Amino acid sequence: MSTLMERVVEAQVEKIEATLEEILAGSLDSSVGLASDTNFVTDLGLESIQVLEFVMEVEEHFDIAIDMESLSDVHTIGELAKVVAGLIRG
Amino acid sequence: MKDKVDLLDKFEKIASNRDQLTAVGRDPTSIVIERIISPTEAIIDGKQTILVGTNNYLGLTFDPECVAAGQAALAEAGTGTTGSRMANGSYQPHLALERELADFYGVAHAMVFSTGYAANLGTLAALANNGDVVVLDADAHASLYDGCRMSGASVYRFRHNDMGSLEKRLQRLADKAGRTLIVVEGLYSVLGDRAPLREIAALKSEFGAHLLVDEAHSLGVYGAHGRGVCEELGVMDEVDFVVGTFSKSLGATGGFCASRHDVLPLFRYASRPYIFTASGNPSVIATTRAALRQLAKRPDLRQKLRHNAERLYRGLEGMGLRLGADVSPVIAVRFEHSADAARTWERLLEAGIYTNLFVPPATPDGSSLLRCSVSAAHSDEQIDTILERFSEIIEPMRSQAVRG
Repeated sequence: MSTLMERVVEAQVEKIEATLEEILAGSLDSSVGLASDTNFVTDLGLESIQVLEFVMEVEEHFDIAIDMESLSDVHTIGELAKVVAGLIRG
Repeated sequence: MKDKVDLLDKFEKIASNRDQLTAVGRDPTSIVIERIISPTEAIIDGKQTILVGTNNYLGLTFDPECVAAGQAALAEAGTGTTGSRMANGSYQPHLALERELADFYGVAHAMVFSTGYAANLGTLAALANNGDVVVLDADAHASLYDGCRMSGASVYRFRHNDMGSLEKRLQRLADKAGRTLIVVEGLYSVLGDRAPLREIAALKSEFGAHLLVDEAHSLGVYGAHGRGVCEELGVMDEVDFVVGTFSKSLGATGGFCASRHDVLPLFRYASRPYIFTASGNPSVIATTRAALRQLAKRPDLRQKLRHNAERLYRGLEGMGLRLGADVSPVIAVRFEHSADAARTWERLLEAGIYTNLFVPPATPDGSSLLRCSVSAAHSDEQIDTILERFSEIIEPMRSQAVRG
């Protein structure tokens, strides 16, 4: 059973995922279905440079700074949402 | 369960990418200079070719004084140093070059590295460590990215030349401002645009951060004394570290870092790319010193370079081609489709004009382009020939595109 704190974090991550999907949909040509496990490279065919451009939009939106090291293990919307959630919580 | 992936499997993907590149035409990575004739001419595919993609900004590679200095050093000091400066000792000319570079920049210290790549790696690795912050222009050269990675610092990118983007990151990281290093280039090597260094220096001072400027493509090109964009824009005193290379305007190999800070000599103990590599060959150090003297005493080379850059830029602009925003010795001719860029590049080569082809992901904004780098050694006639060939190749492609 998850604790209250874990559920709060999960809800926050889900909300961030929805925002990320919105930002990403705005810059994609096709109307690919986006989900938590959508992979930027294998599902969306983005070049690394396009991923980094997207990340900068995310930084502006949430007014945060994401360092490149935290991005090294990020491949999906869900993984990026977790990084964003961590930074928002400070 | 045993992993089925083999160490060598990754090369299948690389081979497939290379095959895609070569399937549509000539492989741009396989150019052979069969014979180099001068700073601006070579034999390629058995044909005399005008070189307009060499970074040889001042055209000093065949300068008689530089060649003589290299020959003398080769005869006097041999072919190589066979070791590193830390373990095997510096030759006197390494130290002399460091003194001359420091004097050239009007700062207390300079340090010489064996390549420009090593200079960026070695400077960043020594300067920034775990817990420090680097704020890097997104279009920065790979060597700066690699140096950041090696440093262990937290690295944040800001949008290319976007002061709002830089300021926001400095604000968000304000509690670490004192241990923050801003990293930019003077002249960006793909699109040929310059950094707004006055604004960057003002932000650096406002937040109390430090500033490193890579003048690889701007040394000898900008400023009253040829020190670079920092000098041109009057911000030398606000720049903490200048890095650069000997391999472009100075026509040799090697790199350097120059700084007013007294900590720079201590980098020698903290910079692995400095410590664990052989020092520059005596002949290379000698030609670099001679080229630096030429750069300092011949402002006419910079004037000629500007004249040539202006002539080529205006000519290309007149054909309605889409170029980078600034007139500089790096002129990017931009294309919407990578196939058009590749076809133009190949036809130019067949017509005896050598440019550099850039396609994604090597370009900063995902576009495709031909990079022309102008030299002071180009004659007006050569520039005009380059323009004529461009016109002959571009026009039929354009009318074909219109006809659809």
